[in-house]
Amino acid sequence: MESNLRSLILLLPLLAFMGVMVAISIFVRHKQAGKNFVSSYFVGNRELGGFVLAMTTVATYSSVSSFVGGPGMAFQVGFGWIYMAVVQVTAIFLVLGIFGKRVALLARKLNAVTVVDIIRARFQSDFLAAVAAFVIVLFFCGTMTAQFVGGAKLFAAVTGYSYEAGLILFGLTVVIYTSIGGFRAVALTDTCCAIMMMIGIVLLLKYVLQAGGGYENIMTTLETNNPELFEPFSFGNMPWTIYFTQWLLVGICTIALPQSVVRGISYKNTQGLHQAMLIGTVVVGFMNIGINFTGILAHGVLSGAAADYGGVDNIIPTTIVRAMPIELVGLAIIGPLAASISTISGLLIVASSAIIKDVYLHWAEKNNRVVTPARVKFLSMATTAIIGAAVFVIALTPPSLIWLINMFAFGGLETAFFWTLLLGLFWKRANKLGAMLSMTGGTIIYCATQAAGFKIMNLHQITIGITCSLILFLIGSYLGKRSDDETLKIFFP
Amino acid sequence: MKKNNRAFNDAQKFSLVRREAIYTGLALVGLIIFWFVAGFGTASLDVKIFHLPLWALLGTVGVWFVAIFISAILSRKLFTDMDLEGDDDGK
Repeated sequence: MESNLRSLILLLPLLAFMGVMVAISIFVRHKQAGKNFVSSYFVGNRELGGFVLAMTTVATYSSVSSFVGGPGMAFQVGFGWIYMAVVQVTAIFLVLGIFGKRVALLARKLNAVTVVDIIRARFQSDFLAAVAAFVIVLFFCGTMTAQFVGGAKLFAAVTGYSYEAGLILFGLTVVIYTSIGGFRAVALTDTCCAIMMMIGIVLLLKYVLQAGGGYENIMTTLETNNPELFEPFSFGNMPWTIYFTQWLLVGICTIALPQSVVRGISYKNTQGLHQAMLIGTVVVGFMNIGINFTGILAHGVLSGAAADYGGVDNIIPTTIVRAMPIELVGLAIIGPLAASISTISGLLIVASSAIIKDVYLHWAEKNNRVVTPARVKFLSMATTAIIGAAVFVIALTPPSLIWLINMFAFGGLETAFFWTLLLGLFWKRANKLGAMLSMTGGTIIYCATQAAGFKIMNLHQITIGITCSLILFLIGSYLGKRSDDETLKIFFP
Repeated sequence: MKKNNRAFNDAQKFSLVRREAIYTGLALVGLIIFWFVAGFGTASLDVKIFHLPLWALLGTVGVWFVAIFISAILSRKLFTDMDLEGDDDGK
């Protein structure tokens, strides 16, 4: 086939998809003209229905590493990896079940638009709110960079175009559509992304099975050649410590991720929330098991070990190229790229709200500065675009160890927000001092142990971070002053 | 979903929501136990279904199905529909 034609066939589905994403955001902006800008731009006016709520929560949560690095590890480790990854099925019903209604009720009482608004109101502290906003922006930038890099590497490996071309194609698209359309556009595009991820998984699975000579054939060969894949500890490749920390890192503690909790502010009614818990759990399990199982079955397509293909990150790209017909490759990589952009968009809008709503507008209000609606609109869109552009530039010359940054940021956010949100919203005694010690102290300890490479029993530093932030929270809450009655009346009527 | 009673006051709503959060927490504990028993608990058995060892089937697809079941029970049986607007919103 002629190379120009080949490139065109590869790129067409992607270009069309990105075009649809931008079109959605322009449509949303047009429809929301005249409504309260801050509320519509940062939480979509609390209008999400159950299906979209489920999809946007799942899509933001599932990142490009769930689609590339994860199944690559499954290829190497086997069913133990799926057994570990499946703990993520808890993430959606936990965050919606524990925080979904609490946050929705409070947001309406307080006119809150962000998670930081709620933290500020609960603990009556501007300093704590500023720390929270700072932590969000800092760690989100790390995560977003990892998503950009992961997506662009995959694009380059599959299509043969350059890394930069991929970054420009999907990276600029996501920054543009998020800046224009805000939260509502993020939710709708996330829904499209989640659907494309599932289609991508099904397509890839079908062609992997076909190329490997069918399920029977692949599995019989694996049973003989790779017995380690069938053992939960994978002959030592999967120590128990990984299982333990994954329960914390990608299971239980994810309920406190601000990008997930903010979704509790965004939905319309409890019927929607109830639907979303069920739909979200179905979808997140389907994606996790589907893509990781495909990773194992990729042995039917790739006969060597992961190292022969340049490491686990190259397993999925190589499999796509080898197993799928050229006219479908472009469609297949939309899945992982959708995972990447849907995470970026979700983080980008929350990072922007942290700067505009939590810092700037609050400052203006305190100092009695009048900010015109037109100015708020301009600044919000500009801030979203600037953060996006900054991360884009960092991703052009990516720092090494980028994959570590992703998990590092996850753990940092969890350490900072887990107890502050959980105890803050469900425990009357929780107070300002406790939250302050927990968020600042816990995060600093977590970062320090990460920097020093210090581990206890070889467990990921999240275990240290989350334990220290709990202890600090309790100390602060018992030493410090109780929250005032007016606050408690709002949060615990 | 339980009866569609929209006449809850704030205090009632918050106590319902607290109870729902506790149910969710208990559901998590149940799922963790199931996950542990289904996977590690059956890893020594030499049973295979569709070429998959029993632990790999129960510990992955099994956990997923149980999680779906749990979400259905929580959201359809234990959680209550309520009006999210409070007694004194917007004041």
